[in-house]
Amino acid sequence: MIPAYYEFSNRAKILSGEYAIEHIPFELASMECARPMLVTNKQLRELGLADIVLSALADGGVTVGAIFDDVPVDSSVQVVNDLAGAYREAGCDSLIAVGGGSVLDTAKGASIVLSTGATDLLEHMGSEVVNARAMVPLIAVPTTSGTGSEVTGAAVIKDTERHVKMGFVTPHLVPDVAVLDPRMTLGLPPRLTASTAMDALCHAVEAFSCRQANPLSDAHARAAIDLLREYLPVALDDPKDATARLALANASLLAGAAFSNSMVGIVHAMGHACGGQCSIAHGEAMGILLPHGMAYNLDVAGERYAELLLHLAGSEAFAATPAEDRAAAAIGGVRTLLELAAEKAGMPTRLSEVGMTREQLPAVAALAINDGAMSFNPKDASAEDILSILEGAL
Amino acid sequence: MSTAHTTHVGIIRRTKRLLAGIIFWVMGRGLVACARLDSRVRDEVATWPDGSVITLMMWPGTPKTSVRKFDGRLTALGSRDIEATLRVTFKSVAASVPVLLGMKAILQAFAEHRATVRGDLGLAMSLVRCLHIVEGYLYPDIMTRRILPSPATRQAGHLRAYAGLLGASAPIAPAETTRGDAA
Ligand SMILES: [Fe+2]
Repeated sequence: MIPAYYEFSNRAKILSGEYAIEHIPFELASMECARPMLVTNKQLRELGLADIVLSALADGGVTVGAIFDDVPVDSSVQVVNDLAGAYREAGCDSLIAVGGGSVLDTAKGASIVLSTGATDLLEHMGSEVVNARAMVPLIAVPTTSGTGSEVTGAAVIKDTERHVKMGFVTPHLVPDVAVLDPRMTLGLPPRLTASTAMDALCHAVEAFSCRQANPLSDAHARAAIDLLREYLPVALDDPKDATARLALANASLLAGAAFSNSMVGIVHAMGHACGGQCSIAHGEAMGILLPHGMAYNLDVAGERYAELLLHLAGSEAFAATPAEDRAAAAIGGVRTLLELAAEKAGMPTRLSEVGMTREQLPAVAALAINDGAMSFNPKDASAEDILSILEGAL
Repeated sequence: MSTAHTTHVGIIRRTKRLLAGIIFWVMGRGLVACARLDSRVRDEVATWPDGSVITLMMWPGTPKTSVRKFDGRLTALGSRDIEATLRVTFKSVAASVPVLLGMKAILQAFAEHRATVRGDLGLAMSLVRCLHIVEGYLYPDIMTRRILPSPATRQAGHLRAYAGLLGASAPIAPAETTRGDAA
């Protein structure tokens, strides 16, 4: 499939594998940076993950200008401004973000402030409206394998005073270097491993089947699913398997690059609403809802899903399935992975298992219908359509 | 290249921009008309914060058209200069003419990154859904059925919509729902 027109960008240099973190000093030098600020949170410091990076920096003779470990669970404008202030005060020249989604979003927000001299982040809210000749160099070291934030050009930052959830989308936000090191994710608990992997799977499937799919995002999505199919079972069996951890980190990155360019659809729209209305963990909502969202899209996206069977079930199963059955079998492939995650890691498979009730569903459906991700879904949906999908997943 | 050729190219370029300006005007008026005629557009607009000013613009600055929601009314402001709370900017005149002529769906244009958005992305998506419906009124079925991924159905006839273009303002009931997240 070749669209009449598409855009794709992923400027990140990717370091993946053994001692990847030890290459950060070299990468800093190649960007003419000598005084990075390390951005992380208290929990990751206690777990010793930030120390791995700090020790690699010391080994490479890099003086850390400042450590900012005050990033809360939800990134906010206040924290972004504090971070930018501390960066300027310490005379830093680059950012190293070690953490999950909120640490990376906060670092990205600070990079907008520092690179554009903005006094109000609100001025840069939106899609492709950040103009800068060069951004503050940003190195991302993810500590979960799900969001793909280390290669996405997006950040969400809350303005708690004005009660606005600000979205920023621009290729300028893609970090300069993404560092995937198995040491960062070896300690992830099984259920979190499973749910973040289902989030990555959902990014790949939705990017592949949404309105913005293109050959480059397709290639990333296919590769992500191949890795997830092969290595999620391994990581669930043996959480300390470094190869499996690295493979899942790569899957998350690949899926991130796919959806950063090609967006997500109805499953994310419903998942955001479950999160907003009932505080359901994002990855768990993704795993529960993905097969149901695919079943809804089946009549429109069937051809695309059929192609994904090759990656979800492998070449033998693909070849053994008649062409007309492949799309439905692809949904079966997703269910198989979900059931495996349920059996081995206690991953929930129904909304009722995470405490949702039938009474909550109409409000969730009303919220989902207005979610931005709905615009990119290959098939339109009314609130009633979404309600019946949610009821099916209860 | 001959002077005649250069002049010719210049005329085409100016004509495209002029055409875009006319269509922007029609889109602004069309949005206001649909807020009166179509319950889906009315419901969307009801969720927009009062005081919202939305500008559709061609990069780098003209032509443009704006609408404002104020005191429960949606009003078309035409091309006047006004500070926008949400600004959608099409990156290229040539690439956006097919969209503005209804030969390509606005949703598709967004999918192709043909426009930038300054402001709340959730509001922008609500606007795009409205414009998608507006397209269904402005252009004949034979065009929209072919180009729109899932063409919006109409709640009123083309003629009423065309007549609606004459009005520059429409009352909007207060919001009953809230918008969700952008991404
Ligand atoms: Fe996600």
